[in-house]
Amino acid sequence: MSSSLIQLKNVSMKFGGVTALSDVSFDVKEKEILGLIGPNGAGKTTVFNVITGVYQITSGEIIFEGKSLSGIKRYEITRRGVARTFQSIRLWGDMTALENVITATDTHKKSGLVLGLFGFPVSRREEKRDKARAQELLDFVGIGEYSDRLAKNLPYGVQRRLEIARAMGAEPKLLLLDEPAAGFNPAEKVDLAATIRKIRDAGYTVLLIEHDMSLVMKVSDRVVVLDFGQKIADDSPGKVQDDPRVIEAYLGVPENAS
Amino acid sequence: MIGSFLDQFWSLTFGGLSLGFIYILIALGYTMVYGVLRMINFANSEIFMVGTFATIIIIRDVFKFTQTSEYATGFRLWLILATALIFAMMVSGTLSMIVEIVAYRRLRRMNSGVLAPLISAIGVSMVLAESVRILTDSRPVASPRAMEKRFIGQFFDAGIRIDNTIIVISALVLFGILMSFVNKTRMGKAIRAVSMNPNAARLMGINIDGVVSATFLVGGLMTGAAGFFYVLKYENTASNIGFELGIAAFTAAILGGIGNIKGAFFGGLALGLLETYASFFLGTQWKAVTVFIVLVLVLYTRPNGLFGEALTQTRA
Amino acid sequence: MINLRDKGAEIWENQGRVGRVVLALCGVTVVASLPFLGGTILNTPIADYESVLVYPIAMFVLMAIGLNIVIGKSGLLDLGYVAFFAIGAYTMGLLGTKTGLNTWEILPIGIAMAMFSGIILGIPALKLRGDYLAIITLGFGEIVRIVALNLGALGRSEGILNIPTPPAIFGIEYTFDSHRIYYWTLLVLILLAIWMVRRLSARRAGRAWESIRQDEDAAELLGVPTFRYKIWAFVLGASVGGAAGVFYASKTLFIAPDNFTLQISILILACVVFGGMGNIWGVILGAVILGYLPDRIRFISDARLLVFGLVLVIMMNLRPDGLLPRKKREKTIDKKDAT
Ligand SMILES: Nc1ncnc2c1ncn2[C@@H]1O[C@H](COP(=O)(O)OP(=O)(O)OP(=O)(O)O)[C@@H](O)[C@H]1O
Ligand SMILES: [Mg+2]
Repeated sequence: MSSSLIQLKNVSMKFGGVTALSDVSFDVKEKEILGLIGPNGAGKTTVFNVITGVYQITSGEIIFEGKSLSGIKRYEITRRGVARTFQSIRLWGDMTALENVITATDTHKKSGLVLGLFGFPVSRREEKRDKARAQELLDFVGIGEYSDRLAKNLPYGVQRRLEIARAMGAEPKLLLLDEPAAGFNPAEKVDLAATIRKIRDAGYTVLLIEHDMSLVMKVSDRVVVLDFGQKIADDSPGKVQDDPRVIEAYLGVPENAS
Repeated sequence: MIGSFLDQFWSLTFGGLSLGFIYILIALGYTMVYGVLRMINFANSEIFMVGTFATIIIIRDVFKFTQTSEYATGFRLWLILATALIFAMMVSGTLSMIVEIVAYRRLRRMNSGVLAPLISAIGVSMVLAESVRILTDSRPVASPRAMEKRFIGQFFDAGIRIDNTIIVISALVLFGILMSFVNKTRMGKAIRAVSMNPNAARLMGINIDGVVSATFLVGGLMTGAAGFFYVLKYENTASNIGFELGIAAFTAAILGGIGNIKGAFFGGLALGLLETYASFFLGTQWKAVTVFIVLVLVLYTRPNGLFGEALTQTRA
Repeated sequence: MINLRDKGAEIWENQGRVGRVVLALCGVTVVASLPFLGGTILNTPIADYESVLVYPIAMFVLMAIGLNIVIGKSGLLDLGYVAFFAIGAYTMGLLGTKTGLNTWEILPIGIAMAMFSGIILGIPALKLRGDYLAIITLGFGEIVRIVALNLGALGRSEGILNIPTPPAIFGIEYTFDSHRIYYWTLLVLILLAIWMVRRLSARRAGRAWESIRQDEDAAELLGVPTFRYKIWAFVLGASVGGAAGVFYASKTLFIAPDNFTLQISILILACVVFGGMGNIWGVILGAVILGYLPDRIRFISDARLLVFGLVLVIMMNLRPDGLLPRKKREKTIDKKDAT
């Protein structure tokens, strides 16, 4: 069994009176695709938000590669190797697709102000390399031909894929995908599933939030289920699908419904 | 220094309280608008400034007071004060609604981010201040005194002046009216709904434009009243007073937690007192500096103010 | 009008290296010869034409370029830009009258002072959201003026008198009324500032600022150290303001708190907004027009702030991108690199 890349230990997140996560523990193993599912408002996006440092957790601990992430600045977390996409697309609309990705690849570089001002030949060479890398990533997710278009003018599906390429640009070990197939038709979903598997084969670890059951079950090695901020299942796709608690969570409990 | 401070403590406190109530009313202008739009109304300071001029127009031009006239008394005095107050409120309230239409409405419909409406409001505030400056030849304008400023009582060593008393009592009444408007009336409830969640409010069929207009109107009414009280207390104005009072009142709103009506109340009082005490020790020329330092400290250490929302909060 | 920007960009991009150098030289020559056109239609009836070229026009252009780094590039609304101008000017005033240092020696000190105060102001202010930044910087601009007005060492309301002119450089003498010389010197400063901004915004820093301007949270979550870049933008903007201030003091020979009111900040903001936030050529054009018109047309001169306020409102509502909009790059940053 391979080792964990990230571990959530008894993580709770409260917003005033709302408990978005309560005592959630799970881990993601290296090179694994872990599906994270649950009904609307279950706390899935909140998991991403606490991992990436958008919110400070109320209690518990998050360990990435053996080190705690608490109190680490957001951009530092990204530099350590966690990058995400957003459920509601948040690209930099006035930049081209390529620039969106290059900006993320800058993550691991020096700030470049002094360099940019005086170190002309060095930075020009680097610039070329970054550009080539960014183009590779666009090709990798299948939107290479859009590299010169402004992000805001791209078709919706391309924007979703660009979100993935941009996150990959930050060279993460752990890639967090928040509903990457939202709004896709079945054919596009099949396509995306292939891309996600390709991403894992390229050496990334993937934590995937997705509402489409068949997609999740098809690509995930393991599935964690959240309901009302609590973890109710953590198992292989086959077992999770048959778990009565999961079925209950998705279909509602008859006694309570009446 | 400390000794004379203690000697003057109560008279400073009364002065600070009435200044505080002026701040409260202006701060309400900022806080109401902030509540529904999540934006600072940069033109509010000029709405206040115009309110001071509206007051002087009533006292000087309508009731024909001059620097040498006899004080009004009895019914006539109350009539003058009430007319000036209502006129200042109406002028500022109307102006505030116009500001919303000119500076904000179009940009709000275009969903244009934060920067554009801010700049547009700064432009409007510049236009207002400059127009008045040109009309008044860049000179400060004194208000004739319509009322004898007698002492109506004694508290320890300090006399209680009638103008300060009028300010505190009427501001309290106005604040009470505002609170019940916000809590009891249909429109007040709609305003609260929009400030809690604009999208949900829209889905519930609330007319957002109407609510925003009403908010600017109410904020302007309160700010205009502050203009009247300011003239009552200080008996002068100028085209450029908006800036200093505006930034102080804004600080008061932040101190209490912007977007929060009760917060404006406590923030205004706290700042009025603080500023008055600080001026006693440091001299009035450092007043603005004191206010600014308070503003920076509050924003930096307690961005939520006493009651408000988190200002640095990230949405993701 | 709408295509002015794209047309210009097209002409520029279609030139080879030589063509560009020739174009740039022609541009600089035309601009540098403006002082000789005093007798023509350009003449200003209200103030001496050549001095108008220095202040407001060239000075506004320089400051607008600096403010544009802050507002246009990184989307930070700085309403206290005049503070950095004042700090540069007072550094020149104090050191120029109290020590034996000359303008050229003081210039780096003034720039450093402005940058330092940029850091001091930026550290608390840049942690806050945009509209709070606006109000904090607004307050800061006023504070600097109030401090100058109340500190004996800074001459209170009388300000500082008898500030020395720059010493001769390369045999060129600066005298009180040699406006052209000052104009050409400013032109050099402006060209330096343009070089700096263009160099920076083409690559990594430019992208980081752009991402911050468009979605700061997303930028930070994708690894952009947003705070550091915002401080940099602020400090670079301040440095340009400081340089302008030093030079201004050394030109007018007399400074007082009244020269550094909030209105200056708004004027420069108007130049940036009018020309086109984020587009350096637009910003320059905006500053030239708004600097020049009030001295050309008497009606505007009397109500110049009123007009500038109107410019802000009208531009924001009808043409928020300004005369020359921000570059809409349909191609990547540098076409030639991609091949
Ligand atoms: N910043 C916040 N403040 C208050 N409550 C929040 C905040 N963020 C999330 N919540 C609450 O936490 C709960 C979980 O939200 P979250 O966005 O994580 O759900 P989700 O599982 O991603 O749902 P969906 O499938 O709809 O995306 C919800 O009840 C939400 O209202
Ligand atoms: Mg979600």
